Amino acid sequence: MTTLGGRSSIGRSDLWQWIAASLRARGDQILVFVVLVAIWQVLSMTLGSYWVGSPWGVATRFAAGIADGALLRQASYTVIEAAAGFVLGALPAVALPFALRRLPIATAILDPFMVGGYGAPKLALAPLFILWFGIGIESKIALVAVTVFFIVYFSTQAGIRALDAGLVRMAQIVGASEQHVARHIVFPGAVPYVFAGLRLAMPYAIGGAIIAELISANRGLGYLLQLGAMNFDTTGIFVALAATTCIVFLGNWSVNALERRLLRWRPPSDVTLQAGT
Amino acid sequence: MNAPLIEIRGLAKRFAKRGGRGGRGGREPAPWVIQDLSFSVSAGEFLTIIGPSGAGKTTLLNIIAQIDVASDGEVRFQSEHAPVGDAKALKPGLACRIGYVTQDDHLLPWRTTLQNVLFPLAVQGRLNGSTRARAEMLIRTAGLNGFENHYPHELSGGMRKRAALIRTLVYDPPVILMDEPFGALDAQTRTQLQEDLLRLWNLGKKTIVFVTHDIAEAIALGDRMLVLSRQPSRIAGQHAITIPRPRDVRGIMTDPQFAALYQRVRGELQ
Amino acid sequence: MTVRDAAIDLDAPAPVRGRRHAVTLGRVALAALLLLAWKISADVAGPLTVADPIKVFERIVADTLSGALVRDTYVTLRLSAIGFALGCGFGVALPFLLRRRPRLTAAVEPYIMASVGIPKYALVPLFILWFGIDDAPKLWLVGLLVFYVVFIAVFAGIRSVDRGLIDMARVAGAGEGAIAREVIWNSLLPFFFAALKIALPRAVSAAIIGEFLVGNEGLGYLIEHSRQNLDTVGVFAGIVVATALVLAINALLVTVDRRVNAWRPIERHMQI
Repeated sequence: MTTLGGRSSIGRSDLWQWIAASLRARGDQILVFVVLVAIWQVLSMTLGSYWVGSPWGVATRFAAGIADGALLRQASYTVIEAAAGFVLGALPAVALPFALRRLPIATAILDPFMVGGYGAPKLALAPLFILWFGIGIESKIALVAVTVFFIVYFSTQAGIRALDAGLVRMAQIVGASEQHVARHIVFPGAVPYVFAGLRLAMPYAIGGAIIAELISANRGLGYLLQLGAMNFDTTGIFVALAATTCIVFLGNWSVNALERRLLRWRPPSDVTLQAGT
Repeated sequence: MNAPLIEIRGLAKRFAKRGGRGGRGGREPAPWVIQDLSFSVSAGEFLTIIGPSGAGKTTLLNIIAQIDVASDGEVRFQSEHAPVGDAKALKPGLACRIGYVTQDDHLLPWRTTLQNVLFPLAVQGRLNGSTRARAEMLIRTAGLNGFENHYPHELSGGMRKRAALIRTLVYDPPVILMDEPFGALDAQTRTQLQEDLLRLWNLGKKTIVFVTHDIAEAIALGDRMLVLSRQPSRIAGQHAITIPRPRDVRGIMTDPQFAALYQRVRGELQ
Repeated sequence: MTVRDAAIDLDAPAPVRGRRHAVTLGRVALAALLLLAWKISADVAGPLTVADPIKVFERIVADTLSGALVRDTYVTLRLSAIGFALGCGFGVALPFLLRRRPRLTAAVEPYIMASVGIPKYALVPLFILWFGIDDAPKLWLVGLLVFYVVFIAVFAGIRSVDRGLIDMARVAGAGEGAIAREVIWNSLLPFFFAALKIALPRAVSAAIIGEFLVGNEGLGYLIEHSRQNLDTVGVFAGIVVATALVLAINALLVTVDRRVNAWRPIERHMQI
């Protein structure tokens, strides 16, 4: 119930209710966490730790892996593959739409090929790259690069197409040349879209590296996963899974942090391009 | 008597009819937005143009600013023929001699206030110590000091308008076109900006062509007022505004000449 | 589009429309060029690295005629379909179950969203360990991938249902089941179909990749097995068929979508 006073009219009881509800939600979440871990523990005890590594076993193995550096070293291989592939794929994907901006016919000719590449299952190329480049990191990097390229290409292109004609007109009136417009209007305007593409591509980069490692590798987290499966070592598998998930979160966080730094000028209401599902 | 700075003769404009694929051949004629429009603007004059919505006021300014083509007629600027008939020959802003303050402020979202104001100087290659100082002076005059490093989304509507205004003033074009620049603001801010505008106009006698739909604003600001008719726009009336300067913008309605002029213009707008 | 076009002439035709023939010609030329590049690289790099396109074509024809390719394709599609159905079923059912228990939803939501961050493909070794080397681990993979896509979409769709409609239905005497069927299901149909369009190609892709890792049939198995035998022609043939399959499914979905939603712009669908 509100009066003209607005905020001050929210009763104390309403405020308390809101606090209680939030605390209850937090409490529920903690409860769920405890229940999940408990179920995990029970499954581990009843089925045996070969089938389901126990929570404590996984936690200690994880900590040990970090302490002696082994887990970090394996994780670093995967991260390097994902990161190198990401950069290798993203750079041309950002550059190409800009380069072709003034050649609409070239873009139109290229379009169905790009759409085909976007729609085609790129991960199916994993065996081909392993055939070509062997089981080292090169094949993983190549796979990640191809996967990332198409995602970022289309996002960048969308950013260039979303050109605000009004801003361009304004710039022309104050005397901007084509280069000025490209540098000061097209490029900054496209950057949010490029970041949306980078954010979208990031999990695919890590996933691609892992898949290629699963097929054939002797290093990396995917390798650890396969090793765990071969040795009937579910604890090892869980540790590798946890590490993988950490990397995904870390990657997301990095892209978001970079975006926050570079895009401080964006109005907070611009949710069209912000963190999506 | 000096030749007029801008001369418009027999200007006409209609938009190509949209709809139907390609539109080649068999196009029905689209309605004329502007037809047979002729007037002139003298150097140093503050001309206000008033007309009903949809009367093509923005289109007229777009043509003068050379960001749109005319279907017929001619525009002369300083007795030179401006190429308004041919899309490829258009020179937006006529080499920075015509400034244009549009309804949307079009501030670059990724530049701070100061960077936005400096933008024309940067692209014109005129950025140096003295022009920078001028920009900072304008920012102070417009009451934006303290907000130099803010981004546009952090500024209020009125501040953005002021920033857009001084962005045009900073490179000193002899002519400034203004398209209902204060339309979207509240009355308080609007009056303040009108006063600021007159003050800035006085600083260096520019030629201003100011479009509005507000009769009181047109009378308060202008030396002369043009009344446009409904589509297709023609001159429905011309009035010299003889209220002495400096004008009292807030109290303009109390001026003895105001009421009669207002009524006459109202009649012409019907 | 050049700056000038963007800024100046609102009624100029799009710069490319008039050059439609040039564009088509260019596309055909580019396709031919790519095929030529393939042939040349096959000659240059040798049959072990790049398979000759003609041999690949011959292999595809031969395998189709012998039925082997048809069998493999069928296996992959069957796997995708079952996994898709499972994932869809749970992906739709779970949001509906959660709908009437907001407290439970609030409690589990952060965990569900966190679990999205786990790369599903990374779970395959675990599935192989747990469920054996037949179809089961692959079905789990496909099912999970489809589940997450559908669940998130339906969850969001249910959340966005107009409360007013629900209240109106309740006032009019509708029971919970009727409300779920009439109001909620219809409101979330667009979300659901959008999710299906993404999930279906992804299911096929996941099936293929699952087959890289476990099993002895299917298109994925064909590709990976060929690689292990250094049968480059086989690798290329499998990839060509797999790509064509997924692209065909995409095209089919786009056509169906266009028919059904004639007024809405089509989105392009990402396939990994």
